[in-house]
Amino acid sequence: MTLAQDNGPERGGDDLVAAEYVLGVLPADERRQASARIDGEPGFARMVDQWEVHFAPLAAAYPEIEAPASVKPAIDRRLFSGTATSSAPSAQGSAGLWASLAFWRGLATAAVAALAIYIAVPYINPPAQLPQERMVASLAADGSDVKYMAMYDAGSGQIGLSHVSGERATGRDFELWMIEGSNAPVSMGVIPVGSTIHIDVDQAMRDKLAAGAVLAVSLEPTGGSPTGQPTGPVVAAGDLRDI
Amino acid sequence: MTPQDITKLIVRTSMKDRAAFDLLYRQTSAKLFGVCLRVLNDRADAEEALQEVFVKIWTKADRFAVSDLSPISWLVAIARNHAIDRIRARRQAPLAIDEALEVADPGPGPEAAAVAGGEAERIHGCLEELEKDKAAAVRGAYLKGESYNELADRHGVPLNTMRTWLRRSLLKLRECLER
Repeated sequence: MTLAQDNGPERGGDDLVAAEYVLGVLPADERRQASARIDGEPGFARMVDQWEVHFAPLAAAYPEIEAPASVKPAIDRRLFSGTATSSAPSAQGSAGLWASLAFWRGLATAAVAALAIYIAVPYINPPAQLPQERMVASLAADGSDVKYMAMYDAGSGQIGLSHVSGERATGRDFELWMIEGSNAPVSMGVIPVGSTIHIDVDQAMRDKLAAGAVLAVSLEPTGGSPTGQPTGPVVAAGDLRDI
Repeated sequence: MTPQDITKLIVRTSMKDRAAFDLLYRQTSAKLFGVCLRVLNDRADAEEALQEVFVKIWTKADRFAVSDLSPISWLVAIARNHAIDRIRARRQAPLAIDEALEVADPGPGPEAAAVAGGEAERIHGCLEELEKDKAAAVRGAYLKGESYNELADRHGVPLNTMRTWLRRSLLKLRECLER
């Protein structure tokens, strides 16, 4: 029995697979397929999420059972081997966050549903070790496959830029711009090649960023725009928002 | 801990705050271990699964923002799905052991009714509308992560019949939940 035979084109074929996935009845191979779709298809992921919501009350029947004391240290060894086992968030600091691919990937996912983030915002109460002000922007544009995630950290005055997709043409550079209100774009420099880049922000710009500027990426000749204003197409842009 | 407290811990965990992660573990590991143990029916296996579940929570905490689930339900979903993936990966589930440890299919229970409120009554109410054995199959599948194969064996029907039954039940549930 294959899914195609069973579902046909009628409404709800996918929704039923989502329900079967959540219920847990699918054989291993179909479960793997469904799991891959959750990662790749936001629509399907939503169906799964809704079924999880429907069935969640049944989970009250699971008892609480204390896990053996050996489990947590084993988790810490898996995650943080090479560092101390006790909590030391300050040692991780923002460097750990910048470098975390999972974090950036997650942000890309989260950007799709920025609204959901706003719902969570009132609950966020960052620990003292972390800078209080962070803003993120998902940079993209129609007709371009260039995507960047930007995160501005007011504490360190740095922008972390994570290259999500899109290649620069040979002989061209990406340049980062800040646009405040209706003012002319201000260059923040050519974006170095790399998956995650840090750019220092000077004091004048920090204030503007804190007020919520737009970041944009344009395609420029090697070395950046010769005029001080964008000369090539804007391949990605987005608002900085509080998180 | 209120749901808001757990939410804070998940969000802080997504920012790689280990103190928050430690506290999240202390507050939720017993529930998640209960989930793993119920599905996997094997202590060593469940301990291993619980480790993997918290590794996932550490790396995927940022995804919480895009889910409609309550924080504890989101954590339970990670644990349940992981435990089910694990048991599906076993060549043959230890049915005999499962049967030996079998207790009565847990119904709603006073705890569920007290804790979960309106939304809970909806799924329970909708399950009530199904025939008794069909509802039991859905509950059993959810709580124990039983596969179509295992359900078919237990109910003594061919695999295809089982799948048709259960899909019909799911359609009825959906119709009731959307009402």
